[in-house]
Amino acid sequence: MAKADTLPQAPFLTVASPPHIHCGRTVSGIMKETAIALLPAVAMAVYYYGFDALRVIALSCVTAVVVEAACLKFMHRDVRVDDFSALLTGLLFGMLLPASAPWWLVMVGAAVAILMAKQAFGGIGANPLNPALVGWAALSISWPAHMDIDASMLQTEMVNAVSQLKYFGLDAANQLSLGQLFVGDQLSGLGSAQVAALLAGGLFLLARGHIRPHIPACFLLGVVVTAAIFASVDSATYAGPLFHLLAGSTIFGAFFLATEYASSPVNRTAMVLYGLIGGSMVVIIRVYGIYADGVPFAILLVNLFTPLFDLIKPKPFGAK
Amino acid sequence: MAGIVKEFTKGLWAEIPPFRLVLGLCPTLAVTKTASDGFGMGMAVIFVLALSNLIISAVRKIIPKKVRIACFITIAASLVVTVEMLMQAFTYPLYQSLGIFVPLIVVNCVILGRAEAFAAKNPVHLAVADGLGMGVGFTMSLTFLGAVREIFGAGSLFGHHVMWAGFEPFQFMVEAPGAFVCLGVILGAMNFLTAWQNRRKKAAGQNACLACAACALAPAAEEQQS
Repeated sequence: MAKADTLPQAPFLTVASPPHIHCGRTVSGIMKETAIALLPAVAMAVYYYGFDALRVIALSCVTAVVVEAACLKFMHRDVRVDDFSALLTGLLFGMLLPASAPWWLVMVGAAVAILMAKQAFGGIGANPLNPALVGWAALSISWPAHMDIDASMLQTEMVNAVSQLKYFGLDAANQLSLGQLFVGDQLSGLGSAQVAALLAGGLFLLARGHIRPHIPACFLLGVVVTAAIFASVDSATYAGPLFHLLAGSTIFGAFFLATEYASSPVNRTAMVLYGLIGGSMVVIIRVYGIYADGVPFAILLVNLFTPLFDLIKPKPFGAK
Repeated sequence: MAGIVKEFTKGLWAEIPPFRLVLGLCPTLAVTKTASDGFGMGMAVIFVLALSNLIISAVRKIIPKKVRIACFITIAASLVVTVEMLMQAFTYPLYQSLGIFVPLIVVNCVILGRAEAFAAKNPVHLAVADGLGMGVGFTMSLTFLGAVREIFGAGSLFGHHVMWAGFEPFQFMVEAPGAFVCLGVILGAMNFLTAWQNRRKKAAGQNACLACAACALAPAAEEQQS
């Protein structure tokens, strides 16, 4: 205990009695605006993959909301699906799937995301990992043939940039121009590589103050620095930073997956470390791992670091 | 006789090893990819558990207190080596699929736990009943967990195809994370069931006691005291 004479004499923090002015920020508002930020990417997905994209994303959203409502009902809690968090999880999850995903695959994945990753840990705000990514990971382990975008999307002309790099080397990957990658003309999960649209959505979220710039900026910085190190070692084998930024779901991960509130740290230093480690992990998995697009597993891994990063605490207000 | 029955049946539900005592989780998680693996592992554990309880209970008075753990382990290890050799001789495919987990029965918490908690303090006939009951409970749990994982993860049960023709197995269930998820769900379901039974017992008890005011007051008085 501090001695009485060291305590501040004048009050440091005065809190008036309620009612207080409310800034108007609510959970449902944030979730709704994040979903709106994803709409351009959904539109691009429909443009590239046709109505299959809409079918998968809509089914994923509906399943997530229904499962969440059923869960809350079963646990005798308030059925607060009107906070749109389940809808957003379903939307994010649908964006990661290939357009060819059969209905049962989408439903199982969305149910796993809500049941196992979210409600089992206590619902909104208590999930240690990003629910959409947990659903994606469970499906990737269970049905690799259906989740392998190259194998299940043979009917398209589009080319998967990250798996070109993985399986056919840098020359094959360089067949795709950077501009092509930027407008999303690359095979991937439905919405996960619509780089331009996602960038617009991400900047909207930043402008509205729903996400802090630290995580996305440091995530992208981590990707750039690690990719630059690899490229400087051997530029004939390893792709450069720009390719890693634009190919696959790097932008999606940086702005929408890594910034998920419950599974990312809150302190500024912690956010910087979290972003840097996540970003460098993406390139490391792409270079050494068996998965062509390292983003989902990189973010799941770095989510596991969050409790550790949360030990970095700010000095309490008024502490000496 | 009643004592034997009581010691045997407690291992079947009230103190079923992996789900109630939460002991012996290493084989529970590792070898339950199929129902038959779980069953085979359970049989090996029944053999070791019953015999180790028998031997330990028989020699409990001559084991010095200070070295009892070492003695228990020695007895369990001898029995496990026996089981291992028997499995190599008669059920070689099962031995191969269980792999390292057969020798690891030595350090299974159920064996040591029952030796320490029961066999070292009770006469031989009760110790054998306890070992058999715990072993059968362990086998039932492993077979059940293995069956659940096999049905969803491979679409079969004891190697026979049971799901519909177009069923695509949920491979997650036969991988390592599936074991943890299944075990968690089963533990949750057991707790849910117990809580529900207790609620019902309480409600039934209160209804029966409505005529007797003293009975109805007793729990309230108890609560106040505690």
